[in-house]
Amino acid sequence: MEHSKHIWRAALILLFGVVGFIVVRQFLIPKSFGIAGHYRFDALAEFMAQPVKHGGRESCRKCHEPPYETTSKGKHARVSCEVCHGPVGDHASKEAKIAVMPKNPSYKLCAYCHQKLAARPKGFKQVSFRKHLEEQGFASDSKIPEKICLKCHEPHDPTGAAGN
Amino acid sequence: MEDKSAPFNSVPGMDVPSASSEEPAMTRRECLKRSAQGACGAIFVLACGEELGALAQMAGTPPEGEKYDPFKHEWVYLIDISKCIGCGSCVRACERENNVPPHYFRTWVERYRITDSEHPLVDSPNGGRDGFGPEKHGEEGRKAFFVPKICNHCKFSPCTQLCPVGASFRSPDGVMLVDEERCIGCGYCVQACPYGSRFIHPVKHVASKCTFCYHRVTKGLPTACVAACPVGARRFGDAKDPDDEVSQIVATQPTHVLKPELLTGPHCRYLGMSMEVR
Repeated sequence: MEHSKHIWRAALILLFGVVGFIVVRQFLIPKSFGIAGHYRFDALAEFMAQPVKHGGRESCRKCHEPPYETTSKGKHARVSCEVCHGPVGDHASKEAKIAVMPKNPSYKLCAYCHQKLAARPKGFKQVSFRKHLEEQGFASDSKIPEKICLKCHEPHDPTGAAGN
Repeated sequence: MEDKSAPFNSVPGMDVPSASSEEPAMTRRECLKRSAQGACGAIFVLACGEELGALAQMAGTPPEGEKYDPFKHEWVYLIDISKCIGCGSCVRACERENNVPPHYFRTWVERYRITDSEHPLVDSPNGGRDGFGPEKHGEEGRKAFFVPKICNHCKFSPCTQLCPVGASFRSPDGVMLVDEERCIGCGYCVQACPYGSRFIHPVKHVASKCTFCYHRVTKGLPTACVAACPVGARRFGDAKDPDDEVSQIVATQPTHVLKPELLTGPHCRYLGMSMEVR
């Protein structure tokens, strides 16, 4: 058969193609791809390796026992320190201080939770700031002073001894 | 129609398989055999992929890190709408924990006000991150509430089904994740998500979304948003742990999901949700 070599040539090209495909595929597809599904299984470990920034109240206790105790006794016992002060991961590393913890003395911080809103649950403590200030004898015709809440309330225990 | 049993279905392949160096070689040999038998290229690709998975399943030995086994958990999220005060602590905590770029959100809070008009008033200024301003007079609504939202981590998620590169996936413990190394940033998944939970990261140019704080929950910590919630409106649990409080509520109490008509099987459940919520 004179023309059989055409078939062999085509077959050879196909074979090279197939082998090339498999070889290239081995390099392009990550090792852990397809172990538990159509994805790279190693990605899970990468997600797990991300740093934890929020340590919770207990992580603050090691160095800040007094405010921890005050807060635990008061109405803010369920408010994590990091809600107002930011994550411990930005403040300390391996039990050493790396940055100053922010303190926001503004009434706006209080307003996040306690500004009177129709959508808030009725049983939750909330105030119309201007009205509340008027009731407490503060002139409220001008701009509300930033640190006004701190005059009466201690944020760690807002209704306790330091508060009203 | 909601698949109530969704979080309790077992995950196929409880044994964590390993990727030993033997397997790819085996697969290649197997594939060559098939090629000799004259299987066409397209079938071939599928067969290789399936076989690698099957082989790995058979191997049955757990990979490094025995501490956390993703096959032994199934994470569920529970939001109690009647408790949410709309303070936005969750949004701020998520932003700091996961370095979420400004004006993008992995979780956000919406305020719903049902007035006498045809549609409810819904607003979410900066995702609720900076709190909510007082309602205008006459816009308080006869019914008003906050709805915290996150990725629903759907069991039958539209977002992973169309990922062309296998970057978007559902982990064995029921968390929808994006492999940033593989993602090409095409944005198909962003369009596919019916809940608007995904975005293209403005710096990395890959799809980004809520990870259920995978780095935290795998260490036994709650997600950052759950830890930050001062009123316990957000809760997190393991559907495979029968003693878990959240798991028990999901199993025994009436809960609701967002857009149940889409049959996406969300793993984020709502308590006390009103039908106006979309």
